[in-house]
Amino acid sequence: MESQRIILHIDMNAFFASVEQQSNPALRGKPIAVIGAAKRTIITTCSYEARAFGVKTGMNSWEARQKCPQLIFVVGNNRKYTYTSKQIIAIMREYTPMVEVFSIDEAFLDVTGCLSLFGSAERIAQLIKERIGKELGLTCSVGIAPNKLLAKLASDMKKPDGLTVIAPERVAQVMERVPIQDLCGIGAKMHQHLAKFGIRTCGELGRFPVEILKRHFGVTGEKLHYMGLGFDESPVIPEEEAEEVKSVGHSTTLDNDITERPEILIYLLQLSEMVGRRARKYQVAGRTVTLTVRYADFTTFSRQQSRASHTNNSEEIYQAAVKILQGVELTQPVRLLGVKISSLRQHTEQLPLFAADRKKALVANAMDSVNNRFGDFAVTFGSLVGKEGGSKVISPAWKPEGVRNVDAD
Amino acid sequence: MQQLAERIKVAAVFAPGSQVKPVWFEWRSRKHAVTRMSYFWKDHHGGAARLHFAVSDGDNLFELMFDTSDQNWTLVGIEPQ
Repeated sequence: MESQRIILHIDMNAFFASVEQQSNPALRGKPIAVIGAAKRTIITTCSYEARAFGVKTGMNSWEARQKCPQLIFVVGNNRKYTYTSKQIIAIMREYTPMVEVFSIDEAFLDVTGCLSLFGSAERIAQLIKERIGKELGLTCSVGIAPNKLLAKLASDMKKPDGLTVIAPERVAQVMERVPIQDLCGIGAKMHQHLAKFGIRTCGELGRFPVEILKRHFGVTGEKLHYMGLGFDESPVIPEEEAEEVKSVGHSTTLDNDITERPEILIYLLQLSEMVGRRARKYQVAGRTVTLTVRYADFTTFSRQQSRASHTNNSEEIYQAAVKILQGVELTQPVRLLGVKISSLRQHTEQLPLFAADRKKALVANAMDSVNNRFGDFAVTFGSLVGKEGGSKVISPAWKPEGVRNVDAD
Repeated sequence: MQQLAERIKVAAVFAPGSQVKPVWFEWRSRKHAVTRMSYFWKDHHGGAARLHFAVSDGDNLFELMFDTSDQNWTLVGIEPQ
C-alpha cells in the first residue's frame, strides 16, 4: 500500500492559443489555431472556441478550415510560450519545491509537506489558479489525487478552468468506469491489445488476472494491473533531482520533402552544429551518434554508430552522421532529419594533444564565444550561411533549466 | 501580424520595483499613445536580454522590443484591430 501523498497535476488550458488570445485581445472569444512558422501548416494547438467546431491539434490547416471557415490562424511564437511557462513554474515553486515539469504546459506538484503552510491541497490549487489568472490572464485545470496517475486523470476531467479532486476513499469507485485510454501511458496500440482481452475500463483492467497480463506484456503487465487499480508510486521528481540527461539531440521537420543528398547534408551539418553547441555549453560529450530519418509517409527509422572516442565537436558529429547516411538507401523523399549524441560523459575543457585536434577545439571555442554574444549561427560553417538555423519546435522534453532548456524560435 | 523590424523612438517609464512601461512611441512621423499593454515576455539573443511588449494605441496592436544590450527600441510588428 502506498503511503498517503497529495499530488497536484496542473495542465494549462489550450496553452499556446490562450497566450495568443491574451497577447492580442482581438482574438479573445474567437476560434483560433496556432501554427508553426514553417511552410507546413499543422495545427500546434487551438482555442476552445475552435475545438467546439471539431478543430484538433495535428490537423492540417486545410482540414481545419473545412471544419471552421472563420478559423483565425496565428503563427506561433515559441519564445513567448517558453517565457510564460517559466513564469508559471516560478509561481508553482512558491508553494512547493517539489515541482516536476512534465512538459511546457503541464507539471506535477507534491504538496504533501506544505499543507500546514497553506491549509489544504484545494487551497493551494485555488491560490495557484488565481495567481496564474491574475498575472498572466491564463486558466488551467488542476487535478488533486494521491498519486501522479490519478492527479493527471483528474485534471483531464474538467476543462477548461477545472479543479477536480479524487479522494483516496473514492479511487475504486472512480476507476470502475474510467475508459482505459483516459490513463496517461495507455496509447492507441495498448488500447487495442487490451480490447482483445475484453478490457475497456480501468475497473476491468484492475480485476483482470495479473498473471495473464504479465505473460502477455512482460513487466508492463504488472504495471498495467496497478494502473487499473489506480496505484502509482512514481515520485514527483524536481529538476535538481532528475536523472542525468542521457542524450543531446535535435531534429527538424523540413520545409519541403527532399531527395537530394547535398541538401540533406546541409541540414545534417546544421543539426550537428546545434547538437555540438548545446553539448559544449553543458560540458558533455557523446560516443554514439544517431541519425533519424522520417520519410514523407511518416515511416521513421534511426541508425547509430559508436565512435572510438567521445566528442562534442560539431564537425566530428557531422562526419559520423554522414557516414551513417552513406550506409542508408533512401527509398522515399525525406520529411524529417534528426541527429543525436548519446553514451554521454562529462567533458571538461582540456586542449587536445595533437595540433590538428587542438586547432579544431580552438575554432569551436572561438565560434561559441561569438555566438554566445551575438546569437546562434552569428558565425557558422560557410555552407550554412543564409540558412535559417535553430529549433523551430518546442520539444516534449523541454525543461525550464539545464541541458533540455532549448530556445525554440 | 505584419513583421516590420524598424528602430523607433519610445517614451517609457522605468519605475523602481516594477516592469518597464512604454507610454508612447513615434512611428512614421506619428506619435502613438499606448492605451493598453496586453502581454509582456522576455527572450535572449546571444548575450542580450530583450523585452517584448504587446501594446495597443486603440486602433492597432503593436509589438515593441527593447534590447537591453544597446538600449534601442524596435517596432517588431503591427496588427490592425
